[in-house]
Amino acid sequence: MTSAALSRRDWSPFTRYRRSLWLLTTRDLKVRYSTSFLGYFWSILDPLVMAGIYWFVFTVVFGRGVGHEPYIVFLLAGLLPWMWFTGAVSDCTRAFTREAKLIRSTTIPRTIWVTRLVLSKGIEFVASIPVIAVFAIATLWSTTPAHLHWQAVFVIPAILLQTVLTVGIGLIVAPLVVFFRDLERAVKLVLRFMFYASPIIYGLGDLPEQLRPIAAINPLAGIFSMYRAAFFPQELDLFAILMSVGISFALLAIGIAIFRRTIRTVLKEI
Amino acid sequence: MTTQTPDGTIRVTGSGIRFKRNRASRRSFKDLFAGRTRRTRPGEFWALRNVDFEVAPGEAIGVVGRNGQGKSTLLKLVAQVIYPDEGAVEVHGGVAPLIEITGGFVNDLSVRDNVYLTAGLHGMTKHEIDQRFDEIIGFAEIADFVDTPYKHLSSGMKVRIAFAVISRLEEPIILVDEVLAVGDKAFREKCYTRIEELLAGGRTLFFVSHNERDLLRFCKRGLYLDKGALVLDAPIGEVVDRYNADYGV
Repeated sequence: MTSAALSRRDWSPFTRYRRSLWLLTTRDLKVRYSTSFLGYFWSILDPLVMAGIYWFVFTVVFGRGVGHEPYIVFLLAGLLPWMWFTGAVSDCTRAFTREAKLIRSTTIPRTIWVTRLVLSKGIEFVASIPVIAVFAIATLWSTTPAHLHWQAVFVIPAILLQTVLTVGIGLIVAPLVVFFRDLERAVKLVLRFMFYASPIIYGLGDLPEQLRPIAAINPLAGIFSMYRAAFFPQELDLFAILMSVGISFALLAIGIAIFRRTIRTVLKEI
Repeated sequence: MTTQTPDGTIRVTGSGIRFKRNRASRRSFKDLFAGRTRRTRPGEFWALRNVDFEVAPGEAIGVVGRNGQGKSTLLKLVAQVIYPDEGAVEVHGGVAPLIEITGGFVNDLSVRDNVYLTAGLHGMTKHEIDQRFDEIIGFAEIADFVDTPYKHLSSGMKVRIAFAVISRLEEPIILVDEVLAVGDKAFREKCYTRIEELLAGGRTLFFVSHNERDLLRFCKRGLYLDKGALVLDAPIGEVVDRYNADYGV
């Protein structure tokens, strides 16, 4: 036995997990960026076009903002993390089917097939944050300049919480889609509904008083309020954040339980 | 106890695995979460059942049986890419699976990236791959195509590079599932030489083949699977004779 083989066995499960996760994540990003000419720009072009449309509709067509100025910064602060969430969850519907051959030939911890999707979309999200900075700086020459507040530190817990939430949902969705293929389309539909049900084009405070507690059940509400606090401190909603923490961790626990119970059948099925 | 078991040991006790007969058969949420103990439903069959055997390090085992008698399923259980529904499969030490070997390769990435990815997923560090990279490419005889996207390789080259990577993993157990049917004669001979080298290095070999000559060449012991059961566990010559007697030509 060579010393190389011996050293490999000494790796802790955590090291092995981290290494495999990183290999697959960089593979995803490499494939995405080596096969298209515009590479990185595609990942920010999509939210930019959407932000452009909503900005045009609300501030130009209707002639008034939603009351959050500058609206384009307000919009992007919700849209970019939304792109991460929706991208990762819809990728998770194909987590097992797309990589079936690879899954059938390696023994790496199976949750990696979900977490790598969340991680690679998360890296794209972090890489798109400069876009907000560019727009925020651009507004300095407008009548309603954006100001960065100390509440920007909430971006860190927001990213962590969104990771917990997205992994949790991914662990629920990924194995179930293998058995119920219809779920793939159902998830797409729910995501489209969630886009309007989450405070992205509006803020939690814009909702009628009696709707707010219901809207706060949506764990994205609390998370987006933390992102937005960087430029709009009044958006920070403690109740929504606490709800979000509770629901995100609950979903993660449910996800781990479902994943554990179903993985042996999933492996037979794919 | 576990720490005393030497690497390369495989212990299969009372193992069984069942599959659905067709995709369309109804499945309920209850089945999904029922775990291992639920009873067999109509429309399911046992691909393997009550399989018991133990393999010592360095043994070379040939698995014999007609198509659909559970040979590949047994290999997958040993590779731990699927889990048994009853019994247990214990594998000590890492496995280098020559099953679906091209599965991990990505069409859009270059051969170089693919080598680092696949070897990395099987547990090699970057440094180890650096050391072995030239050897791997040399073995596959595709030095001119190192930076070519994988999809542009011929199907023979694809199998060659995949074999080269997996057979360089320093794992105590090797599984071979008729992958070598592809590739030209010269390369096949090279693969066989490589397998013999690995065997000489004390590796445990699990070999599935329909080729009697190959079986007799590599293996000392044979497992004969028929209708999902382990019918005979004996020296390879005896197993091949029995197989020929049952389904002989």
